[in-house]
Amino acid sequence: MVSKTEETQLNRLENQVDNGGGGAWEYLCLVRKLKVRRSEKVLKYGLSILNDPKKRSALGPEEWTLYEQVAIAAMDCQCLNVAKDCIKALLKKFPESKRVGRLEGMLLEAKGSWAEAEKAYSSLLEDNPLDQVIHKRKVAMAKAQGNISGAIESLNKYLEIFMADHDAWRELAEIYVSLQMYKQAAFCYEELILSQPTVPLYHLAYADVLYTLGGLENLQTSKKYYASTIDLTGGKNTRALLGVCLCTSAIGQVSKGKNKEDKESPELQSLAAKALEKEYRQKADDKLGLLTSALRSLKI
Amino acid sequence: MVAELKYEISQNAYIKLVLHTLKHKTTAVNGILLGRVNPQNDSVVEITDSVPLFHSNLALLPSLEIALIMIEEHYGSKGLGIVGYFHANERFDDAELGIVAKNIGDHICRYFPQAAIFLLDNKKLEALPMGKDQSPVMQLYIRDASKNWKLAGPDGGSRFVIKEPAANAVLSDYISSEKWQDVVDFDDHLDDIKKDWLNPELFK
Repeated sequence: MVSKTEETQLNRLENQVDNGGGGAWEYLCLVRKLKVRRSEKVLKYGLSILNDPKKRSALGPEEWTLYEQVAIAAMDCQCLNVAKDCIKALLKKFPESKRVGRLEGMLLEAKGSWAEAEKAYSSLLEDNPLDQVIHKRKVAMAKAQGNISGAIESLNKYLEIFMADHDAWRELAEIYVSLQMYKQAAFCYEELILSQPTVPLYHLAYADVLYTLGGLENLQTSKKYYASTIDLTGGKNTRALLGVCLCTSAIGQVSKGKNKEDKESPELQSLAAKALEKEYRQKADDKLGLLTSALRSLKI
Repeated sequence: MVAELKYEISQNAYIKLVLHTLKHKTTAVNGILLGRVNPQNDSVVEITDSVPLFHSNLALLPSLEIALIMIEEHYGSKGLGIVGYFHANERFDDAELGIVAKNIGDHICRYFPQAAIFLLDNKKLEALPMGKDQSPVMQLYIRDASKNWKLAGPDGGSRFVIKEPAANAVLSDYISSEKWQDVVDFDDHLDDIKKDWLNPELFK
């Protein structure tokens, strides 16, 4: 998960390298650090360093990290021969390595040799039953084969042991959402918010799921979480501002005619609407008309 | 018996959606098709434009609702409406029309009963650069009398055509030049409203 500043920094560096301005190694390190998936670029620029003996030796011991990074990127781009070569180089240097063993397992996955990959991972797990990466590879394999219920089961088992793995909770939430299992997705986001209460993305995702679930109580809670997202992002998150407006409108619909004891304070939505109009006026002037009609149709 | 509807998609609308799927190879994506019933021939639905929607969390409502409101508003003023929904599954070998696509399709049918769903055909897309196939790399799904989504029958090939016969050749060219990088979807817009989901410069 990457912040806007980090993404801008990464894209700037990427553009620089794309346009021949150098900085390939910095770019590759940043991709590794932020754990983003830019396999085509990593493959291209990683190989340009690895294939140049001078550049390669200038890396010192980092050379092996790069081999690993390029191997994975190559597998992601289905360039299996490149991956094989990288893994061969790593095996030569680290013959008994479990870490390289993992890469060999991934190569089997990339080839679609599921049974062999399963065997390889199981044997690695025998020696190291708490290897988180391998447990997650097994989930990924289930998903890749279309066995979504298997993936969910494995992921739930994994989270019973490694309950602090935020990426795993997010993955599980997204799988649940894709199956329209919104209550279960909500539970995942609740776990995330409990453990990292100041990460706005979780508040936003939770609000989105609650809105989708619907019903007065969920809509009211959803509105609160859009509000907390706005708070945590300094009012700059378009999705949260729109979310507040959507919630207000939906709450109005659902509670039409009902006893309005719990009177909604109108300030929040009018502030959100104003903030949106200001944003659009400044940055997307041509769409301002559409925004105003949208807000009007939501009766804000 | 009502004459079977034919769907004709413009080259730009078609290419925009396929490029969008290539920009986000690792996730499911979707899009909206705009158009109208042909005023001279009411058994033909003309698809004149498309809007790529999302590449994450397709099954969540808030962004979808906002997108539909804004899209309808914009195209409504041009006499066009939402006539279809496009969906591309996450996995290459998943050729099934999933529940999310069906639900969104049902929703669109409430406003345009002849709406269709177009599902990306990954195998056809893969074979694109090699062949001379002029048919779209998508499968057509329509609702039957019991409102179930069914793959258009063996004559489906003639029910869904691209208006410009050379569209696949143009698409192959764009793929080689990696034009997908320029496609903006609604997700991109919501992350940065400076990005325009109308993609006005894409085919200039």
